[in-house]
Amino acid sequence: MYELVEHTADIRIRVRAASREELFADALRGLMAVVDPHGLTAGAAGAEISIDAPDTTVLLVDFLNEALSRAHADREIYTKVTFGRLTDTNLTARLEGVRVEGFGEDVKAVTYHEAEVREHAGEWSTLLVLDI
Amino acid sequence: MEKRDLIRIHDWLWEIPRSHRGDMIVPARIFTTETMLDGILADRSLDQLVNVATLPGIRRFAVAMPDIHEGYGFPIGGVAAVDAEEGVISPGGIGYDINCGVRLLRTGNSFDEIRTSLPTIAHSIAREIPSGVGRGGRLTLQDEELDRVLDKGARRIVEMGYGEETDLQQIESSGTIAPADAALVSSIAKKRGRDQLGTIGSGNHFVEVDVVDTVFDAGAASRFRLAQGQIVVLIHTGSRGLGHQVATDHLRTMAAAMARYGIHVPDRELACVPIRSPEGRDYLLAMAAAANFAFANRQTIAAGVRRVWKHELGSDAAVETVYDVAHNIAKREEHRIDGATARLIVHRKGATRAFPGQPVLIPGSMGTASYLLLGQEAAMEESFGSSCHGAGRVMSRMRAKREISGPELRKRMASLGVAVEAGSMKGLVEEAPEAYKDVDAVVDVVHRAGIARKVVRLRPVAVVKG
Repeated sequence: MYELVEHTADIRIRVRAASREELFADALRGLMAVVDPHGLTAGAAGAEISIDAPDTTVLLVDFLNEALSRAHADREIYTKVTFGRLTDTNLTARLEGVRVEGFGEDVKAVTYHEAEVREHAGEWSTLLVLDI
Repeated sequence: MEKRDLIRIHDWLWEIPRSHRGDMIVPARIFTTETMLDGILADRSLDQLVNVATLPGIRRFAVAMPDIHEGYGFPIGGVAAVDAEEGVISPGGIGYDINCGVRLLRTGNSFDEIRTSLPTIAHSIAREIPSGVGRGGRLTLQDEELDRVLDKGARRIVEMGYGEETDLQQIESSGTIAPADAALVSSIAKKRGRDQLGTIGSGNHFVEVDVVDTVFDAGAASRFRLAQGQIVVLIHTGSRGLGHQVATDHLRTMAAAMARYGIHVPDRELACVPIRSPEGRDYLLAMAAAANFAFANRQTIAAGVRRVWKHELGSDAAVETVYDVAHNIAKREEHRIDGATARLIVHRKGATRAFPGQPVLIPGSMGTASYLLLGQEAAMEESFGSSCHGAGRVMSRMRAKREISGPELRKRMASLGVAVEAGSMKGLVEEAPEAYKDVDAVVDVVHRAGIARKVVRLRPVAVVKG
């Protein structure tokens, strides 16, 4: 699950999940909700992503930025992610969604600021600050 | 951070000494009044400023302007000058919207002449100049043409027939940051930027028609050919998705490379590498290309405003550039430190260059005011030639949406005599005047501190937003 949290200039998302895979998927859902797509069209959209990172926090932020970049470049929104591989430091994934006409919010990037993926008592969590 | 952690230097300047935290290389200074400081202490912006004071190679002090507010990594409204040889470059010190900035255009019309046409003019600007996210502009550039824009900035747009040589003389760095290297801008960044020239975007970006409502310095105003009651146009936008992608790409590279250079920062968003490293050189060249795209964007928008003026007010309606400034950028500059000339890279994130005699443009919120100021000698001594960049947010976007009614805001703007064209009600309420600090108070601080002096105050009469 994700929830939006106050930030003076930007937007924070708090994500909590039962597994790393769910955390990544829920964070993607939160990001796509904030970008607020409009003008959904019938065309299917998809992208293959492969990322290496020094740790899980950077992996998550880089994954979300990759999805955001592709969403903007191809005017797409992603509603489903299927991971081929997801470890501490690398992932391969397929994003699926639909084409859109535009977005209601200009999310410039998902930042590393305040991001820290933690696992405690079976719960995975992190905060994310989105630059608006 | 508490007020007792700060030392008052004078009525408009406070300091967080190096002793505040063991990893500070230099002190941190904040231009503010004591009253405004109480508000600044309500968020974590000063903790972020202290983090900036730990960057390798930073000189003299980290500086914050009175419009400072919490960002990510760097605070918004911050200045960091680092040694150009031994220091680091940090994309977070420029921000994702590289060369977000402001252009001021003067018109030959008075408010009284066009008062009744303002709603039509606002509507015409909204039609001519796309706003929002995902709407492309009139120009779609193929690879080679886009590369020319990335290398030459506003100059290339003038060569394409959108503007005059005189525009270029009135743009910071003449509208071209050199050297720039389009080859260091990724293909996805170029894809995002291909159709975005001449577009405003969303968030706090706008095209605004203002009237000069107060003249503080008649001599300076006259040199800018501005007078009481004159209509001007303010453009606030940046490098759009292309610049966002350049920042994302290079920040990712730096976050991975930092450890190789033995650099540790208190916040990953401050990721940085030595200026002389391959990653540092590449970022500076790509940043320059993105900055050129932003200058080109504002040049293209200015051409759109001219088309509107011609269409609505006749063929002889003159619209000229007063000045164009960047407020998210890093620049190579020379400053005097301890009696010697120091070569520096000055990061300005939400701060405007204010060299002596340079015009400083401060956009406010839609219901208040904007300003033209003039940089002063004291800025060279006290702020690395920098001033504030806007009013500064105080209310989160979520709170604004919760507490402010869109229809009520529209009525309020109408009662203030402001014609509004907004792409969405959500975008409108996020930018309500109460979401920002009092711009008059913010500008008063830099004026009284002597780093930039007021020339004219501008009151919005028509606002076009995404």
